Amino acid sequence: MLTAGWMLPALVAAPAVLAGLSLLARTPRAALWVGAVATTVIALVAGCAVAQVFMHGPLECVGGWFFLDALSAYHLAILMLVFVFCGFFAIVYFREEIANGVFTRKLARRYQALWFGSFAAMNLVLVSNNLGVMWVGVEATTLLSAFLICIHVSPAALEAMWKYLLMCSVGVALAFAGILLLAAASSASLSGHDALLWTRLMNPSVTLNPVLVKVAFIFLVVGFGTKAGLAPLHSWLPDAHSQSPAPVSAMFSGFLLNTALYCILRCLPIVEAATGNRGWGREILVVLGILSILVAAVFIVAQHDVKRLLAYHSVEHLGIIALGVGLGGLGVWAALFHTLNHSVCKATSFFGAGMLGQTYGTHDMRRMTDVARVSPVWGTSLIGSLLALIGIAPFALFISEFLILKAALNEKAYLAAALFLTGLGIVFIGALGHAISMAWKPPATAPRPLRTHHAEALLAWTPLALLLLLGLWIPAPLRALITQAAAVLGVTP
Amino acid sequence: MSAWTDIILVSLILTTFWLLGSSRLASCIRICAIQGVATGLLGVVGGGITIRVAAISLAIIVLKGLTFPWLLSRALRESNTSHEVQPFVGYVASLLIGVLVLAFSFWADSRLPSLAHGASRLVVPVAFALLIAGLFLIVARKTAVNQVIGYLVMENGIYTFGFGVVREIPALVELGVLMDVFVAVFVMGIAIYRINRTFDHIDSDQLTLLKG
Amino acid sequence: MSLWNFSYAVLGLLLAPLLPGITNRTKAVFAGRQGPPLLQAYWDLAKLLRKGTVYSRTTSWVFRLAPPGGLACVVAALWLVPVGNFAAPLAFPGDLILLAYLLGLMRFMTVCAALDTGSSFEGMGASREVQFSALAEPALILGLAALAYATGSFSLSGIFGGVTRPDWLQVGPALVLVAAALLIVFLAENCRIPVDDPNTHLELTMIHEVMILDYGGPDLAFILYGATLKLWLLGALLANIFLPLTGFAGPAQIACLVAGMVVVAVLTGVIESVMARLSLLKVPQLLVGAAALSVLGFVLMLRFAP
Repeated sequence: MLTAGWMLPALVAAPAVLAGLSLLARTPRAALWVGAVATTVIALVAGCAVAQVFMHGPLECVGGWFFLDALSAYHLAILMLVFVFCGFFAIVYFREEIANGVFTRKLARRYQALWFGSFAAMNLVLVSNNLGVMWVGVEATTLLSAFLICIHVSPAALEAMWKYLLMCSVGVALAFAGILLLAAASSASLSGHDALLWTRLMNPSVTLNPVLVKVAFIFLVVGFGTKAGLAPLHSWLPDAHSQSPAPVSAMFSGFLLNTALYCILRCLPIVEAATGNRGWGREILVVLGILSILVAAVFIVAQHDVKRLLAYHSVEHLGIIALGVGLGGLGVWAALFHTLNHSVCKATSFFGAGMLGQTYGTHDMRRMTDVARVSPVWGTSLIGSLLALIGIAPFALFISEFLILKAALNEKAYLAAALFLTGLGIVFIGALGHAISMAWKPPATAPRPLRTHHAEALLAWTPLALLLLLGLWIPAPLRALITQAAAVLGVTP
Repeated sequence: MSAWTDIILVSLILTTFWLLGSSRLASCIRICAIQGVATGLLGVVGGGITIRVAAISLAIIVLKGLTFPWLLSRALRESNTSHEVQPFVGYVASLLIGVLVLAFSFWADSRLPSLAHGASRLVVPVAFALLIAGLFLIVARKTAVNQVIGYLVMENGIYTFGFGVVREIPALVELGVLMDVFVAVFVMGIAIYRINRTFDHIDSDQLTLLKG
Repeated sequence: MSLWNFSYAVLGLLLAPLLPGITNRTKAVFAGRQGPPLLQAYWDLAKLLRKGTVYSRTTSWVFRLAPPGGLACVVAALWLVPVGNFAAPLAFPGDLILLAYLLGLMRFMTVCAALDTGSSFEGMGASREVQFSALAEPALILGLAALAYATGSFSLSGIFGGVTRPDWLQVGPALVLVAAALLIVFLAENCRIPVDDPNTHLELTMIHEVMILDYGGPDLAFILYGATLKLWLLGALLANIFLPLTGFAGPAQIACLVAGMVVVAVLTGVIESVMARLSLLKVPQLLVGAAALSVLGFVLMLRFAP
């Protein structure tokens, strides 16, 4: 009688097997279609796991090596959503390149294999209880996604890939030092295999050395923060996200950054428990969050490249999530809600940017004008998602940002709230300026209008509709799931 | 047995100093190989040899002593360089910074509660020193191969740290970490090859297309 | 204070010129030559003492002061060094600093004399000499400090009496590092390969040789004798760490001392035969490396010495 726990290893094994099978694809289209459909199937399995966790509590498997609680189940659901969307978008995006012969069978095989590999690695990060295995997964995502950046070899892409590879590998190596320090901090009570298990470390009877835990947390935040794109360690992010093809950028911004932030969130309750719940760890997150928002705001104003603009938006929104978690209380709930909103919205915006980039032949926003007329479907999708990203009501991002502001005022963190508002204001003005010029400025040369299939409209507008819906009404199961996830982080509403 | 551990730890520091002062890339790769072998030997001379420990030490020695130098030499051979281009920080200054890093690590270790489980008292400072020195190498050197070597020095430092502090990392995690490092070096080697093919150099200081 | 305490200085004054002879003979053996006789330095000194001197008109009293002044410094330093357990005649806590600075004073006088000649050739040699010795001094002082910490005494007599065989087992790695650093300092201070070639007379490569280019007669004899005494001095520092042979009775201790010095001379000869001279730009790296080794040894001593 199989328990529900078998789903957890399956979530890792299935994409890994599919990665190997992708190397045998017959044609590029077949590779992409199989990819999209298989991702959907795996997503359904994951959905069952998430529902199981939601209703019956955490899942365990293989003697505690695999573990899924509300926090990781929530992130898993977001991951599946993003991957399903990106999987189907890849079919649309590469259609023209396949027609031109640029996206050859060899490239398609490599692309799909690396895609599934990254998928498997991200699943590994989310479902593992052992912090060491979690680290292995994060490093694996770096390595496997590096070549996704330069699928189409160009000087800029290679430069972006090298920066990404080196900075993220170094950062993640530092994070490993942090994990070792965490294990060492528990050496008084735990030993060997147990010292790396999250469930054991969270056990209240385990004594943790506070000094070591603090040093460990600093290493972890610096290390995983590099991978998550928190300022000032974010300099690889704009390059990597702008040089890769649109589906890859969407996946990067949509969930890869959140994977790294998830690792920090995993370790946060341990740190909080060890330092007497005084919020030492959360203060660091608040500082980094504010710094990310402000740095991103400055760069957003001065951008010309639409994908770099979206990449800096990612830095900003990851900063908002970090700020929310750092504030505690309502902020944690809002930050988790924001994770969902940002992932969906960012993926959509990269879809639009990618398709329009193909149409105009450039990503320069000064030349990508009058998008609504050139492509009603993708143009409006891009403008809509840009508006959502800067927090226009009634999209869900407005709600989550508003709740974080409320949390800041609740916690009497007035300086944080003021800086937060300043950053948001600068982003609003800057990005709105870009969006307006893209939407309505008359073009210098009118490119041919983009023909779109009806199904593509579904892909372009469904996420925006979802965000609109969530902005107006959050379904009760979702609300309960987020509350459960926040509870893992030590927050009782 | 602690004397042998001390000797290996001191040799790790000496190889790091050697790397900081060396400008010829081929010799840098060889020194890195020596350091990798020394790291692998740490597990064996620490006493209490089991099959698991011996197997992992052997894997580390083979990987770091043979495979990685081979991968890096191949990447180096394809490119046209044999010398480090003028680095950001000169060699004499690098050595002095290495000494400062060492002093800082010993000071930091004296401030932290005692971590080592009966292993040598040198483990934690040496590990920190290797970590920071590796980071410094990545930042201060321009050639891509030297940056990969800096990354490997960092990994050696982290492994030394793990060896001294958490004696029983599960075998699966250790193997996973090893595999990750192997794939990282492999990927970096391929990246260097690609960069050289496109740019005709492996000087990462000249990769300045993307700004802002 | 018995006769044995004075033995180091007396033996130094008598036997020091033998050391270059042993080194040259070793190099000749490596090269398959016959080589100069072992007592060649004595014949050279005797020849030079019989000659007259010629002074250039651009030089002043500084130029004339340097040879006897330098010799006086190094002879004074001889009285600070012990033989095994027998303390030196002038031992006091802190005499290792006096030793380092007596050598520095000797170097200072030589450099001033070189600048006094008004020739750019000597000036170039002087600037190189000063740069290299500035880099070598931290290595020397830190190495001696490490030994002082290990043995708990600030006097050379206490240090070299204290470095015994049990110490080697306990702080072995640290002592090896300090010995390596002091070896590099020894080679640098005595102008041996790989820092400087004592046989070269090419403009681009001389350091020490060029500073004494204008000396002749008894002045040159003083300088050469002083150089051999410096070899004897620094060689004793080295030998006492490498070969901790202490605790013997008088004659046996003397025999150990002489044997140690012969070993150092042969070692120098071997190094000179096996290595080539380092490019001038690399010498600072070598010396800073020696300083780094000293620091590492010092730090290790802090950790391990009781």
